[in-house]
Amino acid sequence: MHRLGVEAMNQIEIQYFAVLRERAGTGRETVETAAATAADLYDELAARHDFGLPRAMLRVAVNDEFAEWSRPLAAGDRVVFIPPVAGG
Amino acid sequence: MQPFSFSSGPLEPGRCREALADPSAGGYASFEGWVRDHNEGRTVQRLEYEAFEALAVKEGERIVAEAVDKFGVTRAACVHRVGSLAIGDLAVWVGVSSAHRGEAFAACRYIIDEVKHRVPIWKKEHYTDGDSGWVNCERCAAAAHDHDHTPGPGHAHEPAQAATGGSAIKHDYSRQVALPEVGRAGQAKLAAASVLVVGAGGLGVPVLQYLAAAGIGRLGIVDGDLVEASNLHRQPLYGIADVGRPKAAVAAERLRALNRDAHIESHEAKATAENIDALVKNYDLVVECTDNFRAKFLVNDAVVRALKPAVFASVHQYEGQVQVYRPLPHWPCLRCLWPEAPRDGLVGNCAEAGVLGPVPATLGAMQAMQVLKRLLGLDAGEAPALVTVDLLTLETRRLIARRNPDCDHDNPGATAAPPATAPIELEFGTLAEAFESGLELVDIRETWERLHDPPGLQIPTHLPLSALMNGYLQFPTEGRYLIVCAHGVRSLSVTEQLREQGLAEVYSLKGGLAALRS
Repeated sequence: MHRLGVEAMNQIEIQYFAVLRERAGTGRETVETAAATAADLYDELAARHDFGLPRAMLRVAVNDEFAEWSRPLAAGDRVVFIPPVAGG
Repeated sequence: MQPFSFSSGPLEPGRCREALADPSAGGYASFEGWVRDHNEGRTVQRLEYEAFEALAVKEGERIVAEAVDKFGVTRAACVHRVGSLAIGDLAVWVGVSSAHRGEAFAACRYIIDEVKHRVPIWKKEHYTDGDSGWVNCERCAAAAHDHDHTPGPGHAHEPAQAATGGSAIKHDYSRQVALPEVGRAGQAKLAAASVLVVGAGGLGVPVLQYLAAAGIGRLGIVDGDLVEASNLHRQPLYGIADVGRPKAAVAAERLRALNRDAHIESHEAKATAENIDALVKNYDLVVECTDNFRAKFLVNDAVVRALKPAVFASVHQYEGQVQVYRPLPHWPCLRCLWPEAPRDGLVGNCAEAGVLGPVPATLGAMQAMQVLKRLLGLDAGEAPALVTVDLLTLETRRLIARRNPDCDHDNPGATAAPPATAPIELEFGTLAEAFESGLELVDIRETWERLHDPPGLQIPTHLPLSALMNGYLQFPTEGRYLIVCAHGVRSLSVTEQLREQGLAEVYSLKGGLAALRS
């Protein structure tokens, strides 16, 4: 609920892959956030989980589609952070 | 006029003929194949031709060139129809002009006979009783084929009995041919296809096994590594007795024993900027199964340049990613997804991060399936995506990916690795020679990787990569160093980074410790 003077809080479903999953200690979580964009959300979570991986190295997908970091977020969005993976 | 082409519209023999005119030609012979109203006692109403065009055109062009060469004729060409044809329609046209009539007739006969035997074209007949059926491709009915042409690549139907001294039992594809989407036509497409597999490790092993078993006509294996005991838990194509032997050679041996129809080519070398284009050019499709970003982007750039489809995959612990690349205008490449080519060592490979065998096995099997899908044409309408797989939760996720307009993908030459001005990798025969070079050796392997180093072959200076990445340790800002890791991949990436930071005299041990003589 957006009220004057109060930042809108959205509930976002998050999924992590590879090193991010290890750092976060979980593959998925649901957060209440005021982050307006995918970039803001990553910065917020990176600080919380000490990700240490620069955003430029990752990709973000919102609702099963790769998205720009500037993509605005809405309540109920499913956000996936994907680092590149090299093993074989 | 192209020497060999397909036409989806009616053929015009008059116009085709004009293209062969030449002042030195004293004669012209042509052959026209027409649709007739019966086959094997059944009345045919109309028919459809379908071809695997990319391959068919290559083989057709080869045949026309052979005819020109063999009979010394002036010009020759062949056009084949595809699509729906009615009774009496012209299905195939061959024309030859030459100085004398004898060669013209002979070359014309040669071209039509070889096209019918060698070019992958299928005919679906529609009968008056409402039934229809695919008339098997002559390539595969070629058991009784009495022609004395030299088999071209991808024409390896004859079981190599003498070579393997084996029994008369033939590889039986009936369980896959039984699928309506495969059928004999599909099986012939697989037999006509050639696939290059870069990397014969955790991903490459299942890719190679399933593709060889499925009857891919020609398979190339690129790998410069030797089998190591630590590979066996996830690469069960190799056994304990193979440790120390070249992977590409061992894999080729096993695959030949698995399916004698498959023509296996082993390239015992690492994929490099120098060899990748020549390798990729020789195959219809590339499967990328390496374990480092450098190789992945090298393969990416080469397939983009060569306009070849490719299937990429990577694993990390319990997860993996699969991405198919197709040379279509809207299709993203690896660089479209990862514009900042990641550095090796930053996100871990199997040696550093650990892995259970079934993880690369699953991803490799998925890659093999994507290859078969592409070759059989079962991917129509599929949108480009990165598919993630989590083997702990058994979840897969299909993330739709798009072409990145900023990716210089149309000009892939520009994305090729620029030649380094100063050599960045140094080769040494032994560790002792490396110590004598005057450079300080720095081991960036993780602590556990050093546990089994034989005494006398230890490197005193140890800065583990994980500690460097996390910022727990800093690299000195001056000095002359040789960076060492297990295979020379992580060390190269660290060396590049240090050079960028202004350290001029830093080098990477080429091939890592694995490349040294003990």
